[in-house]
Amino acid sequence: MNVLQVRDLTKRHGRKHNLVRAVDGVDLDVPAGQMLAVTGPSGCGKSTLLNLMAGLERPTGGQVWLAGERIDTAGERALARLRRRSVGFVFQSFHLVEELTAAENVELPVLLAGGSPRAAKRRAGQLLDQVGLADRARQLPWKLSGGERQRVAVARALANEPLVVLADEPTGNLDTAATNEVLRLFADLRAMGQTVVMVTHDARVAATADRLVSMRDGVFVEDTWLGGGSGWLDGLFAMGD
Amino acid sequence: MQDAILAMLAKEPSHGYDLGLRLRRALGPLGGSMNAGQVYVTLARLEKAGLVVHERSAGSPDRPDRKVYALTDAGHERVTAWLAEVNRPKPDLVEFHLKLAAASASRLADPVELVDAQRRELLRRLAEAQRAVLAEPEGSTGGLLLEGIALRLQADLRWLEACERVWSRRADA
Amino acid sequence: MGRLLLVSRLVLGDLRRHPGPAVLLVLSTFVATAVLSLGMSLPGATERLYLQTRAATAGPDVVALAPGMGGATDAVLTSLENAPGVVARSRPYRQFFATLTTGGGEARAIVLGADAKPGPIDRPLVTSGRWVRPGGVVVERGFAGAVGVDVGDRVAVAGRTFPVVGIAVTAARTVYPWAMMGGPGNGPSDGAGLVWMTEPDTRPLAASGLPVTSLVYLRMADPADTTRYMAFYHDTPNSAGGRVGDSAARVNSFTWQSMAHQDDVYLRDGQPILIIGGWLLSFMAVAGLSTLAAGRAAAQARRAGLLKVVGATPGLIAVVLLAEYLTLALLADAAGLALARLAAPTIINPSGSLLTADAGPHGGAVVMTTVVAVGVAILTAAAPALRAVRANVDRRPDHLVLLSRMAGWLPVPLLLGLRLVARRPGRALLHAGGTATTAIGLTVLLMVHAQPRDGWDLGGVTLADLADDQSRRLLAGVTAAMAVLAVVNTLTMTWTTATESRATMAVARTLGATPGQVTAGLAAAQLLPTLPGAFLGIPLGLSLHWFFGPADQPPTPLLWSVPPVLLLATGLLSVVPARLAARRSVAEALAA
Repeated sequence: MNVLQVRDLTKRHGRKHNLVRAVDGVDLDVPAGQMLAVTGPSGCGKSTLLNLMAGLERPTGGQVWLAGERIDTAGERALARLRRRSVGFVFQSFHLVEELTAAENVELPVLLAGGSPRAAKRRAGQLLDQVGLADRARQLPWKLSGGERQRVAVARALANEPLVVLADEPTGNLDTAATNEVLRLFADLRAMGQTVVMVTHDARVAATADRLVSMRDGVFVEDTWLGGGSGWLDGLFAMGD
Repeated sequence: MQDAILAMLAKEPSHGYDLGLRLRRALGPLGGSMNAGQVYVTLARLEKAGLVVHERSAGSPDRPDRKVYALTDAGHERVTAWLAEVNRPKPDLVEFHLKLAAASASRLADPVELVDAQRRELLRRLAEAQRAVLAEPEGSTGGLLLEGIALRLQADLRWLEACERVWSRRADA
Repeated sequence: MGRLLLVSRLVLGDLRRHPGPAVLLVLSTFVATAVLSLGMSLPGATERLYLQTRAATAGPDVVALAPGMGGATDAVLTSLENAPGVVARSRPYRQFFATLTTGGGEARAIVLGADAKPGPIDRPLVTSGRWVRPGGVVVERGFAGAVGVDVGDRVAVAGRTFPVVGIAVTAARTVYPWAMMGGPGNGPSDGAGLVWMTEPDTRPLAASGLPVTSLVYLRMADPADTTRYMAFYHDTPNSAGGRVGDSAARVNSFTWQSMAHQDDVYLRDGQPILIIGGWLLSFMAVAGLSTLAAGRAAAQARRAGLLKVVGATPGLIAVVLLAEYLTLALLADAAGLALARLAAPTIINPSGSLLTADAGPHGGAVVMTTVVAVGVAILTAAAPALRAVRANVDRRPDHLVLLSRMAGWLPVPLLLGLRLVARRPGRALLHAGGTATTAIGLTVLLMVHAQPRDGWDLGGVTLADLADDQSRRLLAGVTAAMAVLAVVNTLTMTWTTATESRATMAVARTLGATPGQVTAGLAAAQLLPTLPGAFLGIPLGLSLHWFFGPADQPPTPLLWSVPPVLLLATGLLSVVPARLAARRSVAEALAA
């Protein structure tokens, strides 16, 4: 079953001479449980694609289905409901609510979805534990390191057990160590069968996905399966002997 | 070196001198360190292996070199195989660079496609390395080597991006 | 020189890019300094006007009145030339207690038999038309304004019709409606206006038996020293501020000082209104502007950082940040003073009985308002400037922990609103203060309007009590200015809150909050501090009113409408920017 389906999706900015085809007639199917990476140089339209798939922006043309529901034409309320229940976001600049503690940030989607404060609290505790931040639950975001903040953001994205997690350059603001922290988390998500679509220009991050789509100037130029080891590493060490 | 010279002959038969010149041009600033004699030594080896043949041409009086080298069928085969080949454990920058230059000159292969194929392969390797890195517990020494491999692959991939940018622009021009 | 160029270039650049805050700064400071300088220029203002009028009309140093007319009365009055300090006196004049009938009705009037050519003491200044001629009367300007007559109109004096040939002012009388200076027989005064006619024209009045008083104008050797004269003939103080002699002649004397003092009565109520109003407005200006400055703190910090990077000293950065606000504040101060100067004559001289060439703010008021304006600018810019110079990051700890704890158990919009308030307690305090100030103004206004109105009984017609009217007008003006500032402040606060919480609200929307929830959250953040502010303003306003007005007046039930009105207004004003912010695409808001 496809969690996300995109058909002939188009997004243009500006007019005439300044016309930019950010996304130019793209088709994409993301089956459940797949971890998909979209890569490409900056300005290739990959972030726009992600925003379109989440209903954060409206497309100029084409269709987007999320869990069989068409979202490119959905109203604000329907989109809000969809974001609450079906989508989890992770951003490059974390976008934690600065006024709320780590735990409260994670509770927020649960409360928004109508969960009881007790349920929200329980879920936040469980998720923060899962991302290894149980002891930082009561801190405000600015007291956390970049890697910790992004782990809180991942926990928050998972709060309502979304159908798909959408991540926009999740390691773009992180150093190598923090990148590994976050990538380990994504590897766990992949192992758990969580559907993830992430946008990145970092090959190492993209390489953790099952499948990799390359974008140039608003179109897909390549669609590669990365799953399954070729034993290349073992060969490398054998040669080293 | 051998493969690169063979690939250059694939376009048209040439003098050893011209081959040296073209090789140097393809290598850019790095070509300066190349020894002119190297070309002739390599050509002699290739001839012995039956990959090239030479015939004497009526050269001008001031040009003592009159040997024009051409590929044999076996030589052609070898060039095609070399161009298609991607699965070397460690891509040698110079070699890959010359391969792209030769492919573009001989029109036996599209350099952009060569880059893509190479990138796919490197990505697969990177995926494998990266998974291995993440499987290691944080701070383990075993992970360090893997991390080094992943970082090198990442650097190679970045270089491939640059190759693609330049070669696709040349193809458009 | 180069540094000056740099500073002015940076200031001008910022003004061009952000004209809104500059306009608000100028507007708020302008209103506050105008009102404050008016209030400050009231003390002594009427006295100045009186002195000016006195100089222009050769006003007497003492007016001595004795009831009746004829030899005995005149003898007593003329004998005053021998009193200590007196160097000159006029001839005796007669004033009759008559009525003036106009199209509008009948009013009490004092009719003075004047010289066709005024003598050396008291030469009334004709402000329009001409001086009296046989068969033509001149009406005192304040009186003329109150009963609505002008040159060319016809009026009836004691039943005889005269054309009004001129309007004049004099320093020999207390201002309208206190023209009587002692009733018939030197009894208690009623409100009345002054009318001049030629001596021969008054003869029928004398014949008709109207009450009459005789008077002489005295000139002293030293105008400042009227005490020796007063001590000479009596020691009993009378109600009008003069002194009644204990001799049989019943002379009633008014010194020019006592007349100047009586004129001030008009302004007794107006002054606290303007001064308190001015301070309240200044506070509101500070509240609104601080919000504005705080809202721009992040941008200013970035600016400071950039300047630091290129090698600017902290001093220079502070100068850049302060120069803009100081320049604007001084500009607004100058404009406020100019407005005060324009408005002063009507406020200081409500009856129009005095000349107003010299009305307007003087040294003290100018200094005071300038200090206030500069203070507003510094208070507004200093904190953000300091913060911008000191550090790059503006991080405040979570102050209101209880509020935050509570928030977890509330609906999501309230939770967001509460957290926004909890993160910026200073802002919330400012907002509450601004609301309280508006509530104080509204409370005082409502209380004054609830007072029973007493007009002036002029016999026949009842004219509005000018002094009371004046206070109400001033209060209404000050309240209107407050309302303007309150609206501007609320807009500023909502705009700032909306801008600062844009990212937060956009994130909330990516998590599935509806535009409605986001709008409600922003509105809640505005309304929470408004509530205590609105309620606090009422008792404060009541105590102010009781302090300056009748202390026994019960609070009017209308006061209950103040909090709901303020809450409603704030709610409506805050929904607009929230709604606009909510309508933007989430991706756009996140990128901003």
